[in-house]
Amino acid sequence: MSPRNRILGYVRGATASRPRVPHPGRFDGRFLVGDDRPPMERFAEQFTAAGGEVERFVDTEAAVRWLGEFTRGYESVTVGATVPGRLRPALPSTCPDLAPLGVSAAVAAVAETGSLVLDARDGRRTQLLAPTHVVFVREQDIHQTLVGAMVTLQPDLPSALGLHSGPSKSADIGQILVRGVHGPGRIVAAVIREAGPV
Amino acid sequence: MSERTRPSDYGAESARIVRDDPGMRTSITGAVRSKDEKRQAAWAQIDAGAWRDWARDVKTHVLTHLDRYLEEAEDALLRNGVTVHWAETAAQACDVVARIAADHDARRVVKAKSMLTEEIGLNESLEGAGLEVRETDLGEYIIQLLDEPPSHIVGPSLHRSLEDCRQLFHERFGTPLDASPEALAATARRILRNDFLEADLGVSGANFLAADTGTIALIENEGNIRISTSIPPVHVAMVGIEKLVPRFEDLAGLIQLTARSATGQGIGNYVSLIQGPRRPGERDGPDEVHVVFVDNGRTRLLADEHAWEVLRCVRCGACLNTCPVYRQTGGHAYGWAYSGPIGAILAPGILGLEAAMPLPFASSLCGACAEVCPVRIPIPELLVYWRERAVEEGLTPTVDGVAMKSWAALAEHPGAFALASDLVGALPLERTGRKLPVLRGWMGERAAPVPSPERFLSTSSGKEEST
Repeated sequence: MSPRNRILGYVRGATASRPRVPHPGRFDGRFLVGDDRPPMERFAEQFTAAGGEVERFVDTEAAVRWLGEFTRGYESVTVGATVPGRLRPALPSTCPDLAPLGVSAAVAAVAETGSLVLDARDGRRTQLLAPTHVVFVREQDIHQTLVGAMVTLQPDLPSALGLHSGPSKSADIGQILVRGVHGPGRIVAAVIREAGPV
Repeated sequence: MSERTRPSDYGAESARIVRDDPGMRTSITGAVRSKDEKRQAAWAQIDAGAWRDWARDVKTHVLTHLDRYLEEAEDALLRNGVTVHWAETAAQACDVVARIAADHDARRVVKAKSMLTEEIGLNESLEGAGLEVRETDLGEYIIQLLDEPPSHIVGPSLHRSLEDCRQLFHERFGTPLDASPEALAATARRILRNDFLEADLGVSGANFLAADTGTIALIENEGNIRISTSIPPVHVAMVGIEKLVPRFEDLAGLIQLTARSATGQGIGNYVSLIQGPRRPGERDGPDEVHVVFVDNGRTRLLADEHAWEVLRCVRCGACLNTCPVYRQTGGHAYGWAYSGPIGAILAPGILGLEAAMPLPFASSLCGACAEVCPVRIPIPELLVYWRERAVEEGLTPTVDGVAMKSWAALAEHPGAFALASDLVGALPLERTGRKLPVLRGWMGERAAPVPSPERFLSTSSGKEEST
């Protein structure tokens, strides 16, 4: 018999006479963290508290202007595959492990946890390897709860989603907090208010 | 410390640590007190009672339907293009990984922090097969350089101070002895970045695995897990069979509760939700993903009428942080991967009760662990359960066992108890106190108090107390 079938056999034998316990239901509004302020406000508060930065723009035009300023001083960039043309910095493109700056587009954000939801289809190395990471997200894609974001995204999952909720950090050296250990030490959530595609 | 200690060394090791290494005790106590305070603050922001009930019920539901969810998860993983393996024992699990490595002519392995791989001794096994294995979590990296086991489920290096790390990095990488924590971290980042880019294989654990979507969920703060599971061409996830959750959406609650309980954060800085290898149109990600479902004693625990509840554990470490016994020594004294209260009730199932001795006794039964367990595992009751089993099976150290059994028998018979008390009082202890067999170990360095000729319960203070 294969290990698979033996393990499943042990499991069946172990639980055969045990009373079955039902699933307690969705982790829904009953478990809301804190209050129900507008998602943008809560997202900004949580993301900033974790050490991230938040920039808000009324429209793409304003975001483009800010990006021009922000990227001054950088020599090259790695840009996610789904970042729209207008939001791609006017810098030479380089491979993610050499780039000083990464620019991605998030598929969603979460207010209660202050998280950006990044999709593998945008490119994982761009999300992870540059020391500074700028992530564009539409304000309308900020969900109040994590479960809300997950239920929305579930029908079309990529090979991996990454929830990024602040800069990379560690307290493994003498319990002292250090940023930028493996992932980006600086992360900016650039939130665009206007409806429609970023 | 290449000779690993075992649970049976607990008595000597805990004494040695407390006596010889006060610095370690200071590091540990400070670190876990701070974690415990952060958990308290994070729980105060939520309806912790309701969250814990929900999490307990999700995990109990899974454990009472585990065969169904394992099959459902296997189907979902196969649909996602993941290769699924099953391992009954630690040795089988290590063999599976070694075989995957051999199939790809792999030489270099990067590892994301995984307690399951510590449990099964994967690093030693892969190194034995000629592979280069690199831990990439900063804490794991530090203890790998020191050749030490982790001392805490969540913070493997929390027994080491900044000074210890400075000394280590100075010796290994030539950094100055007064280097800042930032400089030390930057050194590790530079070295490990290279390892990530050159690795043939990335090995991770799993915090959870959702049966409906086949999603492997991993929580962390550094980004090394995301990188280990994104850059190497092959990703192997080691998954204890108890890690399943029914639905993708259940992850939302469990991820948040685990983070709040482990570090007091609302969520880990990075959460990976992995659905398999890179798909057409994706520009990066591993070409292959393997999941290894590991039993290694879990079905034995599941079959136990009482002990199965330990399988709800989400490995947050909250019970270690609050435990007055763990706080004195840290994890090394326990002699295996999982320390503290949770380790003491996992050990009898995973190692077998005899090999786990005396860990179920390494607790004062104060109950603090039960107060903080996010999935409401009745840890003190399970400690008592394993103690009773140990006595039944004759596994308690002979002298203690006899003493406990005799005391229990006496305590149940007041007449005999009174008689025994009188007999102790009548012993000529002024001359022979140091020779009492039961107390020899304890009294070697101490003077013996002389028992009162009068029984406590027959004195006036004893009577007042007893009314």
